[in-house]
Amino acid sequence: MLLTRKGDAASRTNNRFSSGLADTLSRALPTMDRRGFLKRSGIGVGAGIAASQLGLIQRARASGAVGEKSANSKIEVRRTVCTHCSVGCAVDAVVENGVWVRQEPVFDSPINLGAHCAKGAALREHGHGEYRLKYPMKLVNGKYQRISWDQALTEIADKLLEIKKTSGPDSAFFVGSSKHNNEQAMLLRKFVSFYGTNNTDHQARICHSTTVAGVANTWGYGAMTNSYNDMQNAKAALYIGSNAAEAHPVSMLHLLHAKENGCKVIVVDPRYTRTAAKSNQYIRIRSGSDIPFLYGMMYHIFKNGWEDKQYIHDRVYGMEKIKEEALKWTPEKVEEACGVPEAQVYQAAETMALNRPSTVVWCMGQTQHTIGNAIVRASCLLQLVLGNIGKSGGGTNIFRGHDNVQGATDVGPNPDSLPGYFGLAAGAWKHWCNVWGVDYEWVKKQFASQAMMEKSGTTVSRWIDAVLEKSELIDQENSVKTMVFWGHAPNSQTRGLEMKKAFDKLDMLVVIDPYPSATAAMAAMKVDGQELNPKRQVYLLPAATQFETSGSVTASNRSIQWREKVIEPLFESRTDQMIMYQLAEKLGFAKELVAKLKMVPGKGGMMEPEPESMLQEINRGTWTIGYTGQSPERLKAHMRNMHLFDVKTLKCKGGKDPVSGYDMTGDYFGLPWPCYGTPGLKHPGSPNLYDTSKHVMEGGGNFRANFGVERDGVSLLAEDGSHSLGADITTGYPEFDHVLLKKLGWWDDLTEAEKKAAEGKNWKTDLSGGIQRVVMQVHGCHPFGNAKARAVVWNFPDPVPQHREPLFGTRPDLVAKYPTHDDKKSFWRLPTLYKSVQQKNVEARLYEKFPIILTSGRLTEYEGGGEETRSNPWLAELQQENFVELNPKAASDRGIRNGEFVIVSTPTGARIKVRALVTPRVAEDTAFIPFHFSGWWQGKDMKEFYPEGAMPIVRGEAVNTATTYGYDSVTMMQETKTTICNIERFSA
Amino acid sequence: MARMKFICDAERCIECNSCVTACKNEHEVPWGVNRRRVVTVNDGVIGQEKSISVACMHCSDAPCMAVCPVDCFYRTDEGVVLHNKDICIGCGYCSYACPFGAPQFPSNGTFGLRGKMDKCTFCSGGPEENGSEKEFEKYGRNRLAEGKLPLCAEMCSTKALLGGDGDVISEIFRNRVVKRGKGSEVWGWGTAYGKAPHADAKLELQTGTEK
Amino acid sequence: MTLALASQFSIAQQTNAGSRDAQAQSVQTPSAQPPATLPGVESVDILKQNQAERSQTQPGNLAPVFRSVADGTKHYSSLPALEAGVLIQGKTQFPGQGRATTAGEAWRQYRNGPLTMIGGTLLLLALAAVAAMYFFRGQIKLDGPRTGRLIERFTPTERTIHWSMAISFVTLAVSGGIILFGKHILLPFFGLTLFGWLAFLCKNIHNFAGPVFTLSIILFFIQFVRDNLPGTSDLKWLSKMGGLMNGEHVSSHRFNAGEKIVFWGVVVALGLVVSASGFVLDMLIPGFEYSRAHMQIASIVHVVAAVLAASAVIGHIYLGTIGMEGAYEAMRTGYVDDVWAKEHHDLWYADIEQGKIPRVRSAEQSIPEPVAHSGASA
Ligand SMILES: Nc1nc2c(c(=O)[nH]1)N[C@H]1C(S)=C(S)[C@@H](COP(=O)(O)OP(=O)(O)OC[C@H]3O[C@@H](n4cnc5c(=O)[nH]c(N)nc54)[C@H](O)[C@@H]3O)O[C@H]1N2
Ligand SMILES: Nc1nc2c(c(=O)[nH]1)N[C@H]1C(S)=C(S)[C@@H](COP(=O)(O)OP(=O)(O)OC[C@H]3O[C@@H](n4cnc5c(=O)[nH]c(N)nc54)[C@H](O)[C@@H]3O)O[C@H]1N2
Ligand code: HEM
Ligand code: HEM
Ligand code: SF4
Ligand code: SF4
Ligand code: SF4
Ligand code: SF4
Ligand code: SF4
Ligand SMILES: [Mo]
Repeated sequence: MLLTRKGDAASRTNNRFSSGLADTLSRALPTMDRRGFLKRSGIGVGAGIAASQLGLIQRARASGAVGEKSANSKIEVRRTVCTHCSVGCAVDAVVENGVWVRQEPVFDSPINLGAHCAKGAALREHGHGEYRLKYPMKLVNGKYQRISWDQALTEIADKLLEIKKTSGPDSAFFVGSSKHNNEQAMLLRKFVSFYGTNNTDHQARICHSTTVAGVANTWGYGAMTNSYNDMQNAKAALYIGSNAAEAHPVSMLHLLHAKENGCKVIVVDPRYTRTAAKSNQYIRIRSGSDIPFLYGMMYHIFKNGWEDKQYIHDRVYGMEKIKEEALKWTPEKVEEACGVPEAQVYQAAETMALNRPSTVVWCMGQTQHTIGNAIVRASCLLQLVLGNIGKSGGGTNIFRGHDNVQGATDVGPNPDSLPGYFGLAAGAWKHWCNVWGVDYEWVKKQFASQAMMEKSGTTVSRWIDAVLEKSELIDQENSVKTMVFWGHAPNSQTRGLEMKKAFDKLDMLVVIDPYPSATAAMAAMKVDGQELNPKRQVYLLPAATQFETSGSVTASNRSIQWREKVIEPLFESRTDQMIMYQLAEKLGFAKELVAKLKMVPGKGGMMEPEPESMLQEINRGTWTIGYTGQSPERLKAHMRNMHLFDVKTLKCKGGKDPVSGYDMTGDYFGLPWPCYGTPGLKHPGSPNLYDTSKHVMEGGGNFRANFGVERDGVSLLAEDGSHSLGADITTGYPEFDHVLLKKLGWWDDLTEAEKKAAEGKNWKTDLSGGIQRVVMQVHGCHPFGNAKARAVVWNFPDPVPQHREPLFGTRPDLVAKYPTHDDKKSFWRLPTLYKSVQQKNVEARLYEKFPIILTSGRLTEYEGGGEETRSNPWLAELQQENFVELNPKAASDRGIRNGEFVIVSTPTGARIKVRALVTPRVAEDTAFIPFHFSGWWQGKDMKEFYPEGAMPIVRGEAVNTATTYGYDSVTMMQETKTTICNIERFSA
Repeated sequence: MARMKFICDAERCIECNSCVTACKNEHEVPWGVNRRRVVTVNDGVIGQEKSISVACMHCSDAPCMAVCPVDCFYRTDEGVVLHNKDICIGCGYCSYACPFGAPQFPSNGTFGLRGKMDKCTFCSGGPEENGSEKEFEKYGRNRLAEGKLPLCAEMCSTKALLGGDGDVISEIFRNRVVKRGKGSEVWGWGTAYGKAPHADAKLELQTGTEK
Repeated sequence: MTLALASQFSIAQQTNAGSRDAQAQSVQTPSAQPPATLPGVESVDILKQNQAERSQTQPGNLAPVFRSVADGTKHYSSLPALEAGVLIQGKTQFPGQGRATTAGEAWRQYRNGPLTMIGGTLLLLALAAVAAMYFFRGQIKLDGPRTGRLIERFTPTERTIHWSMAISFVTLAVSGGIILFGKHILLPFFGLTLFGWLAFLCKNIHNFAGPVFTLSIILFFIQFVRDNLPGTSDLKWLSKMGGLMNGEHVSSHRFNAGEKIVFWGVVVALGLVVSASGFVLDMLIPGFEYSRAHMQIASIVHVVAAVLAASAVIGHIYLGTIGMEGAYEAMRTGYVDDVWAKEHHDLWYADIEQGKIPRVRSAEQSIPEPVAHSGASA
């Protein structure tokens, strides 16, 4: 019999993957070394399987190779990075004869140590792409038909040119993507600029735009201050508005490790989430009431004198005003507004104050509100009060969204800025024209006018209104007539019913996406009695995925990783950079688009810009946020030598890349931006922002001087003695330019060549990097100055964060006390309503008809609009239907039982059909629906409208079909976290 | 010789389903067959919710093995409970016997037509030649033969799932337990292996976890 | 001690790659140290603590959760499979078992133990009994010579029904028996591969023959129930054991009490039980919850009933073939000699003689030529 046949200990090998669990564990939990583990596991000793045998093992499914023993089959391992969220988990893809046959964990990655969540563990499905769009398609008589690439590109370009001619360039809107790598994101911004509009945007708008604006305006940069890894140093962590266990699962590796070392975890969320299940203290708040809660904490902190007085004195501007405000938030008021009793608030405050460094984590629970900008600043304030910013183990750990949303925000398609947050002023344009190697005047000519060139475009959250609103009410020549969705789903934006109207009104819709099907189906769907533009053209273009090109991606912690290309673009798909180039050819600006880029042959020998050269272009221009030091060579060296980086600090203890000879000693993994100066300067990247305990050349820093040097006679610069380690200037100082350098007598530290380039320039525009080099390397100072953080952001509607009730709420009593903003006539080119909507809702007593607060968010298995992940059978099996989380009491009041269909209706008139998940995760007054579904429209399956062969496995009702109006008063973030609904049993 | 076992650390497991998907991906397991699954106990109950990932535990005195009418199970030197699909008749008895619901079948069982049983192999294939095409098709990859450990454990997002030599993983687990301050039982070990892990026995005594 | 440990770990935490070995050692320390003093006997209340309360006093102690895990409760799992949410089967105690164990374990012990052992023994006993009967009593012969006059005892329909029942039963019994006992009896001789094939065959035959059997017993019941209604003569027949032992002719109607027992006991009662449980095992009942617990119970019921039925049928088959002259003939050809009828079913014969029951009930067929019968004993 077959007993014990398998125990062939001698066949245990030590190949690239064998590091295994043991290594991971010894790195994550330094309690056991790897060798010891292997020894004691009884594996890891003895001869390994020879490489040839390995081939046998890995042979599997390579096309054509099945069955026959192809001795010459080529097996390669390509290192890439998961495309599903901002954690940035590395993956080794095993490719055989061009087929992605296997996926192995990268234990060496300091970010994920081989770990993945469901999405990352299912990545290889991208190598099959069964349900992808396979060739270009066009909507003809309500059905999608296959067309050739050339026909598609020609017709699209013709239409774009026609629209530009008849209605002006601003009648086109380009929705970019946080799924693009940095290179593609930058190229798209360039593309849109050369078409002549600022009407471009991407997911960050509806994701962390409020964070970016709020945080950047508080202390300088709009990004997560520390890293997932650094959370291992935290002694307490407050998760408020983040469900990391489902949205950033691998980050929990670091948190849970910290927790085992004593870190106290507090979770504040309307739902008892999987993250909350790992907390020491869970606090249930009413959705949208974070500000009262945060002030409630600050109240206790100030009352008990727990604030970091020295820190506030040295590094924070305007804190008195905050204290004043916080002390108004008495425990009674806090409890009234957010439903949390004093004792719980006190306990949270005490935990955070007495266990420093303590960190705050937030995500969509804070950002997606009409007051998102104020909520995130309230969180910043908490951390400033506690002196936690710029400290290892502290910081605001803002977990970002898509894999490259940070990068796309930094260098990609934003309506109000050129890459690197340069803004849209003439100087910014000139800087980038210089970098791109094009003539400023030529670019200007592409726009409707210089004024339009310098005016922020509208936002993806509002494209619906830009299409539907009367032209005269829109702050541009004409309404938007054509939409190009270049890597964005439709079901992620609110107000689905109106979106459908906008889709039907367009002259042209172009979707460039590996999985354009949600948009396609929604556009093709017929709605009874709704007008359809008879001349509308709809095109679908199959884009390649990030596994079918190479490029860099910026994780949430600002580390940049380089993805190797895993496979050739499947089917007829083409890389985004190739599509941009080819479309530019038809539009007549291809030469300019790639003026300084190296062209290489891509799919089918067709030319496309080389990712490396695009990254170098980013390096050449993005001085503001230090995207200059991360040359492709340095990044690739990091990717090859991940094992040299420490898991806790991300720092390389020492070591050379055997391939390039580059010495990585002292570098932080992925050169987290800012990594200032030229690559030659070897800035190591900044693991934690604003950390004065380190020299700037070791990644240290301080708050940015971005708002002038004084305000109303009060200095905004840091106080004496507050500066980054080893700085020549031991007090606050402004940002550097050629004038300051000369004043300080540092000018001569520049080389002659540098002087030439730096003359008349500042640290952001000096393309030689000389100013940055001298300031940092020679004088230990920070190029962006040394200022205080702003507790009061005077340029925001609420300089001191104020609580304001959502437009759609269940508490008219609180609306009276905390009303929303006044309406705005023209805001990002559009009229935007606040008070009028809120008042109307109260008057109509909507809170009676829709008594349940509806919030939405994420499931581990699906991502974003979900079309990609719902097409992946390994993931789809795990969540087969959309549902609404409903409290048992609320359910029984309505006669609803677990698993039954219910109808969720909202004030928009939408009635969506989902399963009831009866669970105490939510309180009686709240319901939750994940937003990843699409393919049902108010109870009807949209099956017949999908392009053939490109329908995801799982379909369901999109919550955004039912979501309501409401936008952040600074960034136009859509309100998706707080609205109202009614829930009833479905009866057929 | 190492004795392979699993531990799922309920204090760490976040129900991310990575283990489930990793398994599907690695072994091309069809829809409906779940060699591993994740269960959340006290879902949504404040302070009481725990998630646990479960697959075949490769039991010491495996009921599946004993009950199989064709005796197609066998145990490797490393304590891994495997079975021979060529011989399996798809009667389903192993699934009735298994305390953990590990055995899975590709079809629904009407007229007893279930197809061949499939379950977690501890990523060590089946009776076919190590690493062969046939082995892959029937049982999935043989990672142990490649010197690797189960992929589900290797990819676990939080390292909640530990798979490997029972002594080693119980030691890793014990270290965590010590750090957490109080004892903790190893989930499922009593049922699967008939006893608590050696290292933890003491700890349980100390803390009275058994209660 | 905990404190000391914690500090050790935090030091270990600071150190790095180079000193991992040292850390590995540091983890040895706790077990080397004597255990801390045992906490006093904890009050009974601890059993009532829920996890939230327990976590307050003993973070990391999951006993309350694990208690609910082992009791078979269905918890949350995003997978839709019926028992995806059950971590460990609940406990069960089958009749005769000393204590409750995990249901699957209890079932395996029951099946592999008593069911196999007692069941096997019972079947062997039944075989032994008929062997003994044949050895000591020999075939029950007709007393008188055949008259050559024939009575149609079973119409072709009746025979078809009986035989389809009989054949399916035997098929089921043999195939089922191989599934249950084959491992012990055949496997050692056949080897895994061959036995695997055989078992696979048997299993599939069994799964499809089952419903045929069920259908047969239903038809059989309809066809024969009238003549199997118990009558007064049955008691007498029973009290004399049907004369099986001494050859006495006990008077009976068309079917004697023995046959009625087979009818009611085996065909009706056990047949239904075995069919019902078989339909569960075969997953043929729509809407039924095919949980492991239900399957285990069905399996046990099925085996018990099957073994009882099979044992009884062994006796029946014996009598229907070599045990009694002329019986087999009746079921094969449908006709019996007047003598046979008079000797075994006198009351029925009387009715025929009186014309209450026609000699031939099937229309199509006329009385065949009498066949020369030397019986099985020849
Ligand atoms: N699996 C998966 N992971 C993802 C994504 C995905 O689609 N799927 N998307 C990525 C992206 S783009 C992003 S932006 C991140 C988002 O990551 P998260 O923001 O962590 O995820 P969400 O589920 O949107 O929201 C987090 C929590 O906010 C809570 N919440 C709702 N309203 C409020 C409120 O008013 N106050 C507070 N404090 N909490 C509130 C919700 O109950 C929810 O649990 O995830 C990223 N990771
Ligand atoms: N109700 C509600 N709505 C929400 C949220 C919520 O919490 N509640 N969250 C919001 C947030 S935070 C976000 S970030 C958005 C996310 O929503 P979206 O970003 O709209 O959702 P995704 O499905 O991730 O869209 C990305 C698209 O890019 C495509 N893609 C992937 N790779 C590539 C590539 O290389 N090239 C191209 N061209 N395309 C590619 C994918 O196929 C997919 O269609 O949803 C927002 N909407
Ligand atoms: C009356 C005659 C029958 C006998 C003697 C019989 C006997 C058996 C036996 C001995 C087993 C094996 C049990 C074990 O190994 O634990 C078995 C299993 C089974 N029987 Fe029957 N059975 C009979 C009728 C039926 C009927 C009528 C059905 C269905 C309609 C049926 C369906 C099954 C099924 C599904 C199994 C499980 C075996 C498998 O699927 O591989 N049986 N039977
Ligand atoms: C190969 C096997 C079998 C043989 C040779 C056989 C033979 C016979 C014969 C000869 C008779 C007629 C007796 C008479 O004339 O009174 C008979 C009747 C009967 N047989 Fe069978 N039989 C077999 C299998 C079965 C089985 C498997 C069952 C039930 C599960 C069964 C149930 C009956 C019953 C109930 C009757 C009597 C009719 C009644 O009482 O309604 N037989 N059988
Ligand atoms: S989705 Fe995020 S956490 Fe999950 S594997 Fe990908 S990068 Fe890692
Ligand atoms: S877990 Fe189940 S299948 Fe695995 S060895 Fe134990 S009884 Fe058998
Ligand atoms: S299903 Fe296969 S492995 Fe399981 S008991 Fe039956 S024959 Fe054995
Ligand atoms: S050990 Fe391997 S086969 Fe078993 S569950 Fe894990 S991945 Fe799947
Ligand atoms: S991968 Fe790990 S954390 Fe995630 S569900 Fe599985 S065991 Fe739990
Ligand atoms: Mo996002």
